[in-house]
Amino acid sequence: MTGEPEVDALVADRYLDALLAAVDRHADDTPADAALDPDLRAAARVLRASLVRVHPSFRFEERLAGRLAALAAAQSRPALAAAGGGPGTISAFPGSGPSPLDADPLLAAILLGELDPTDEAAVLHAGAALPGPGARRPLIVGGAITSAAISLVGVAYVAWRASRPTVGRSNRAMARAARAARARRAAGALSSIVGGHGGPA
Amino acid sequence: MAGPVFGRRERATEASVVVLDRDRLLVEAARRDPTQFDALYRKYLAQVYAYAIYELGDHHSAEDASERIFLRALAALPRFREQARPEDGPEASTFRVWLFRIARNVVANERRSRRRRPAASLEAALGAGLAIPDGTDIEADAVTRDEASHALRALNALPDDRRRALTLRFVDEMTTAEIAAVLGRSEGAVRVLIHRALGAVARDLGRDRGTATPADELGGTP
Repeated sequence: MTGEPEVDALVADRYLDALLAAVDRHADDTPADAALDPDLRAAARVLRASLVRVHPSFRFEERLAGRLAALAAAQSRPALAAAGGGPGTISAFPGSGPSPLDADPLLAAILLGELDPTDEAAVLHAGAALPGPGARRPLIVGGAITSAAISLVGVAYVAWRASRPTVGRSNRAMARAARAARARRAAGALSSIVGGHGGPA
Repeated sequence: MAGPVFGRRERATEASVVVLDRDRLLVEAARRDPTQFDALYRKYLAQVYAYAIYELGDHHSAEDASERIFLRALAALPRFREQARPEDGPEASTFRVWLFRIARNVVANERRSRRRRPAASLEAALGAGLAIPDGTDIEADAVTRDEASHALRALNALPDDRRRALTLRFVDEMTTAEIAAVLGRSEGAVRVLIHRALGAVARDLGRDRGTATPADELGGTP
C-alpha cells in the first residue's frame, strides 16, 4: 500500500479489471501491482468466486416476456387500442396475466412522460405517496388514474395520451367534459335571454 | 434509422465512425417497434435480476423488482438519450447504465418500503448457486461453499453504497465508469468506495476465520 487512498484505490481498480477479465481465460488470478495489499487481493478473489450471477426461473422469464410484449403491443398501436377495436385490436398474450399497470402503479406516469424512472428523488417521492401492499383504491399519479382494475386498454389509452402532442388547451377528458358542459350552460342561458327555445340547463 | 452521432472524429476520417453504445442497434429497433424490446430484455434480464436478488435478498422480491424495472424501461424508452462519450470506449453501453439507474431506484423504493436489510435471507435465497463447486473434490467444494457463505455475510455487513458498488463490480462486471454513472458519483469516488469496501470484506473474512487472513486461506498471495 502506498498510503495514498486515491493511488491505492487506483491500484486495486486496475487489479479488479484484470481479475474480472481473467474469467474469460478461466484463470484463478492475475498478476498484480506489488503495492496492492495481499489481503485485499485475496478478498477480491473470494468475492469473484462467490458472487455468482443468478438467473431467474424460465417460467418467470417467459411470464415477464409476455407482459412486456403486451405493453409493447399497446404502445405500438395505441390509437387503435384506445378506440377499442379495428384490425389492430390488442389481445392479451397467453399467460400474460393482469395489466402491466397492476404490477407497477407508477407505470402510467412514466408512460405519460410525467415521471423519469431514472430520477432518484422523483421516484422516491412518487413511491412514498403510494398506498401500502393490499390497498386497492385508485391512485392519481401525475394526472393519470391507475388502479388494480385498469386493463390493457388502460395501458393503451395512457400510451395514446403520451403520444398526443400537447396543445394550448388541455386535452384531458375531464377538461373536455367540463368545457362542453360550460358551453351547453352558456348556450342555454343565451337562449333564455334572447327568448329562444331554451337549451340544456 | 438515425446514424451514429458519437465518436465521429473529423470529416476526413468519417468512414471510421465509432459506435459507442454497443446496444445502439437494439435500442433503435425497440424505439421503432416496441415489440423489439424483447432482445434487450433477454440480454439484460440475468444481470438485472442478479443485482435485485443481491440487494433484496429473496427470489420473490427480486422477481417483482425485475418486472418493474423492465416495464419502466420499456415505458420510458422513447425518452432515453444516448450519452456515451468517446472516452468511454467501444464497449460502452449507456443503455445498460440507464437501465441500472432505473434498477437502483426500484430497488431503493423496495428496500425503503420493507425497512429491513436482506442479510438473513440472501444466503438461503442463493442456495445452491453459492459459488460453483467443481464436484470432483468434496472437501474443496465444502471450502468453496463455506467461503461463499462468509463472503455473502461480509457483503451484507457493508453500508448500502459500498455493498451496491461491489455488487455492480463483481456480479454485473461493470467498469468503474459505469458504476459511477449508475450511482451518480465521480469515478474517483467510486474507486475509493470499492477500495474501502474490499478492505472491510478482507477484515471481515479474516475475523470469520479467526487469526488467518484471506491471503493465508488462499495459500498466500505474493
